[in-house]
Order: sequence, then C-alpha cells, then structure tokens
Amino acid sequence: MRKRRCGGVPLVMAAFLLAATGCKQSTPEKSQASAAAVPEKILIGATLPLTGSEARIGGFYKEGYDLAFEEANKPGGVLVGGKRIPVALQLLDDTSTQATAVSLADRLINVDKVSFLLGTYSTALVQAQAGVPEQNRVPYVNGGGAATEIFRQGYKYNFGLLAPVELLADAIMRWIDVQQKAGKLPKPAVIAVLWENTSHGKDFRKGVSQFAAAHPGDYKIAVDESFELNAKDFSALLNAVKAAKADMVLADAHLPDYITMQRQYVTAGMCNKVLSYGARGSEKQAADGLGQKNVNYVLSAVWWNYQLGSKGLNKHFVEAFRAKYNRQPEWYQALGYETARVLFVAIEQANSVDREAVRAKLAAMDIESILPGGRLTFPADKGQQAHYPFVVQQNMPDGSSPIVYPADVANSPGVAPNPDCKG
Amino acid sequence: MARGLELLLSAILLAGLYATMAYGLGLIFGVLRIVNLNHGGTIMAGAYLGWWFHEHAKIDPYLSLPMVAAFSFGVGVIIYRGLVRHLPRGAAGGAQSLLLLFGVWLVLRNAAYFWFTGNEQVIRTEYSTTAVVILGSALSVNRLIVFAIAALLLVGLHLLLTRTYFGKAVRAVAQNADSCTLAGVHVEGIYTLTFGIGSALAGIAGLLLGTLFTFNPSFGGAELLKSFVIVVLGGLGSVPGTAIAALILAMVEVFAILVLPAYLTGAVGFVLLVLVLIFRPGGLFGHRVLG
Repeated sequence: MRKRRCGGVPLVMAAFLLAATGCKQSTPEKSQASAAAVPEKILIGATLPLTGSEARIGGFYKEGYDLAFEEANKPGGVLVGGKRIPVALQLLDDTSTQATAVSLADRLINVDKVSFLLGTYSTALVQAQAGVPEQNRVPYVNGGGAATEIFRQGYKYNFGLLAPVELLADAIMRWIDVQQKAGKLPKPAVIAVLWENTSHGKDFRKGVSQFAAAHPGDYKIAVDESFELNAKDFSALLNAVKAAKADMVLADAHLPDYITMQRQYVTAGMCNKVLSYGARGSEKQAADGLGQKNVNYVLSAVWWNYQLGSKGLNKHFVEAFRAKYNRQPEWYQALGYETARVLFVAIEQANSVDREAVRAKLAAMDIESILPGGRLTFPADKGQQAHYPFVVQQNMPDGSSPIVYPADVANSPGVAPNPDCKG
Repeated sequence: MARGLELLLSAILLAGLYATMAYGLGLIFGVLRIVNLNHGGTIMAGAYLGWWFHEHAKIDPYLSLPMVAAFSFGVGVIIYRGLVRHLPRGAAGGAQSLLLLFGVWLVLRNAAYFWFTGNEQVIRTEYSTTAVVILGSALSVNRLIVFAIAALLLVGLHLLLTRTYFGKAVRAVAQNADSCTLAGVHVEGIYTLTFGIGSALAGIAGLLLGTLFTFNPSFGGAELLKSFVIVVLGGLGSVPGTAIAALILAMVEVFAILVLPAYLTGAVGFVLLVLVLIFRPGGLFGHRVLG
C-alpha cells in the first residue's frame, strides 16, 4: 500500500508534517476497504510486557490470549460470511516501556497490517499505546488498563475490559458497610487512606472518599496520604496512621510496596480492625515473603476470581485453563482470555472484518461474560470502559482467600474486626 | 514528642541503609573518577546472591555476607580488568565509562530476567518481622542489624583508608595518579582493588536491601540514584562524609512528612542535591566535584 508522498521537505520535518497534516489519514480508509473482503486468515496484533518490570504479569496475559486463540481456531476459526476464518496472533514484546509499546503498535498496524489490536498490560502502557489505534482507526480491545483517565480522552476505537479502580474501592467499602451495619465495626469508623501516587491510586482514593461522603456520620477519613512507588520507608506514614488511631487502613499499592509496607506495619506492632491493599493481598509471594500469619484477614478486591467458575462460561474457562496449564487461573489470565474472546464475538457479530463494522459491534456489545455480574458492555458515557462489580476476597489463616462480596457469589461472610488485634 | 522520637529513630536506621548503599559508589567515584552506573546492577546481583544462598543453601542472609562480598569483589575485578581499564583516563573517558558500565548493568539485568524471571523475590527469615522496643518505639531487628553493619563498614573503611599502606596508596592515587607511578605505587593494582572493593560494598548493600524489601531484576536503579545524591552531598573521598550525608538525607526525608505530602518526601533529597551543587559544589565534607 503506497502512502501519499510529502516531498520537498527535510526528512525530520516531513515526519512531523505527516502527523500534523494527516498524510496518514489515507491509510486506514484504504485498509478498511481491503479488510472488508473476507481474508484467508485474520491477523490480530498485540504487544505485552514479556520482559522488563511487568514481565511476570505480561506472561499471564499471554496465557489468556493463547488459550482464547486456541479455542477460536479449534472449530476452524471465527465465523465470517458463512465460513470459518482462522485467527492468528502477532504478539510483540513491548519490554514494559511506554515508548516501545507505542512504536510496536504503530508497526503492527502499518507494517504488519494487522486487522485489529489487543491491548497490553498496565495502566501506564495502555495509556501510552491507546492513541495509536485511535489515530489509525483500528479497534483496540484492552484488558490491562484500569485508570479512568484512559477512557476520558473521547477515544472511539478503545474498549476496556478492566472496570475502574474507583469501583474496586467501592466494593471494599460496601463489604465494610455491611459489617458496620451488623455492629461489627465502630460508627463512625476512622479511615486511613494510603494511595500510591499514580492514576490507579488516585482512582482508589476517589472511590473511598466518594463512599465516605455518601455516608455522612458513618465514616471519617482521618489520614489521606499518598506515597511514591517502590518507597524504602513507610514508617513516617504508618506513624501518622497510628497517631490518628485509625480503625481501618485502606491502601492501594503494587505488590512490592504491599510487601514492604505490610512488613513494616507488622514490625511496628500495628493491627487495625480492617486492612486492605486494594487489588493486592492474596498473592502467594506475599504469604511466602511475610508469613501466612502476617497476611491473615487482609482484604483485597479483584476483577475476577477462579471461585466464580462453578457454572456457565466461567466453568468452561477455568476447566480449559486447568487442562492447558495445570493450575488455577488468576484474574490476569481471565482478563487476557476475555479480551480476545470479546473481539472474536464482535467480528462474528459484524460478520465482517471491516474495522468500522467491528467497532460498531463492540460499541453496542451486551454479551454473557466470565466477568463478575455475568454481562459485558462498553457504555459510551463511561468512555467505553466496562463497569461491573469487583470481587472482594479475604485471606484466611488456612491460606485460602474466599470471596466475601458480592453476596450472590460469596462463599464466606468474611471476618471483621480482625480477631488477631488485641484489645 | 513521642512521634518526634519515633521519626528520629526511623531516620537514624534509614541513614544506615543509605550509607551502606553509597559507600561503594563513593569509593570508586573518589579514586577512579568514574560514576559506576553498574552500581545498581551489582546491588541487584547482591540481593539475588543472598536470596539464592538463603533459598537453596539455607544460609542465613547475614552469614552469607562474606560470600556475597567475595563474589561481588571478583566480578568487580573482572569488570575492571576486562573492560574499564581499557578506557582513556580522566575526563576523556567519562562518557565512555558511563556508556560501558550502563551496558554492563543492562546485560546483568537481562541475565537476571532470564534466570530468575521478573517475579518479585523476598528474603524471609525467622526474624523478618521481629521488633525490639527501644524508648517506647518498636524497631525492626533487621533494620538494627543493617544499621550495625553500616556502622562497622564505616569504621572498617575509615581505618583501611587511614591506617594502612594500601589506604594511603588509595588516597595518594586519588589525589595524583601520575606522581604515584613515579613514586613506585602500582596504580593499576590500586584501581583494580578499589573497583573490586567498591563492587563488594555494592553487593553487601544489595544483600542488606534484600532482607528488607522485595526485589526483581530491575532493582537497583532508585538505589543508584539515591547513592549518587549521598556521595555528592558528602563530598568525594570522604567516608565519614558519606555517612553524615546519609544521615542528613534520611533526616530530611523522614521529617519532611510533617510539612509535605508523603509522595514528595523522596524528591526532597534531589532538591538538597541541587542546593549543594549550587552553594557548595565540593559537597559538605569533601573536595569540589565539578570543575
């Protein structure tokens, strides 16, 4: 495919003008036209952080993608125009860096000529990458970016499966509210909110603050502090929590900060009626690194939990994952799997590989899903970010982390206040 | 008052950690005039070595200190003899040494990703979450041990540099390597040993950090940056200066929470660095760094 030439200017200026004057605008139109015909196979591009700081989780997402592609190709591919078309994944390693994620997305669209894009993992990478498919008018389905900031840009081609972190905080607060109404927690309950200084952390703080504001007299936020990622010393922060005599510590942290902060928390002899680290808490590495007794009763809320897998699509996914990988899936693999599956469904619903037709089907999507709540939509008024209830789980002394909220899927009522706290 | 005392004790223990991180970088910087960008890589390698000894050989991390130090020393010597010594001396080799050592760091980091994956690791011992109460404050046993080791290293390094022939030679080479050659000092030998000792100190710091924090192959970057701030703050060629700079930085960071949001406390050190470079470019206790 030839691009219109912008001759007569130096190379650097030409590159700049290309972006500014819209030389690239011809590309998506042409590719749409060619993509509308039914091809021999459907090439779908994706980048994941397979090396670098997010390599571990990037590997988990890859497992989800691989399983979804394997399942789609088992009957011969996705059904388009009355025949089965195989789907192929062109997966590149974005090395956990934003610049690479952006340039590889551009390469996938303009060099490898993929028809659609699946997203990478982590808010920072998705945030950086989402602009590329938007400029090129390529549907971009991602299950790795949760910050609402990504979906406030007015993008039309970006569809997110991770519900916003505000809802994560909201789910934890709802469980706490049930415990408070049952008389297990004081009223008003004094809260310390500690959040990492990222868009993830800001959304968490917003969720807690909004819930507390909506329940005046029930909750009082006494400490509201953020911290830098990978901090070396939380003692000053924990001192502030101690001084405020907080009943509950609600923190939002990534795994390294969770382990470091919890180690200092335990060493300082602290114990609060409720303790949460947002999406972190049930990781095996934390129990290994801190000792099971030091992570007991920690609450966490996640986008999916394998304990949802007792019926329907969830049962199928959990069994298929176990058969392929011989272990339980975590929410990362589930989101990877569902992200790819949703795109396949949209292609089949559109009965075409035309990007605009598939985008329209994604925008109007309302399907059964493995995600909590059982339905998946991409509401336009939420910037096409899926909204569904989080699954709240709590660590128990036997090493399990049963679901404690929402009530319809809970397999334990949960424990509050923390019985290990003296006095 | 009680909170102030708790913050003071936290700052003192944090200073021990910072000083341990910075000694190796300061020594190499002071003698070879090289910013060892692989300092972060060696810290990461030290953490993984300690973890490996603990997980696979069941050796307590503090008992494996000599082995980690010896290994890091050996790696430092190899890097110096194999790579660094071939670079031009002085300002001419500055940019090359930065690029070279950054490259070594990248190789180490990716080797660690290959062998250990990107998983977070942690060294957990029986006493990882044990505390002792001092002046009404619960202090982590691990942090107290790290502080004690930092103090021992300070005394040991100071004695080595001031009371031994080797130390005098190191200081002489740092001042004027050409004159030392005329006086019969084996300058290349001093450089090699200094680079080895600096690397050993970084390895020790990595192991000590590994007993307190989680780590993965990307570990070491923030530690390198903080070490650099301390070395510049303390001044070149001054071991006690490094220790005092670490104490000042820790105090400022910890007490900053009383007037600043917690996420800004980490930036306070860099503001301090800028101020020192403007008003006292030689550092608080050393010689001029620039010019």
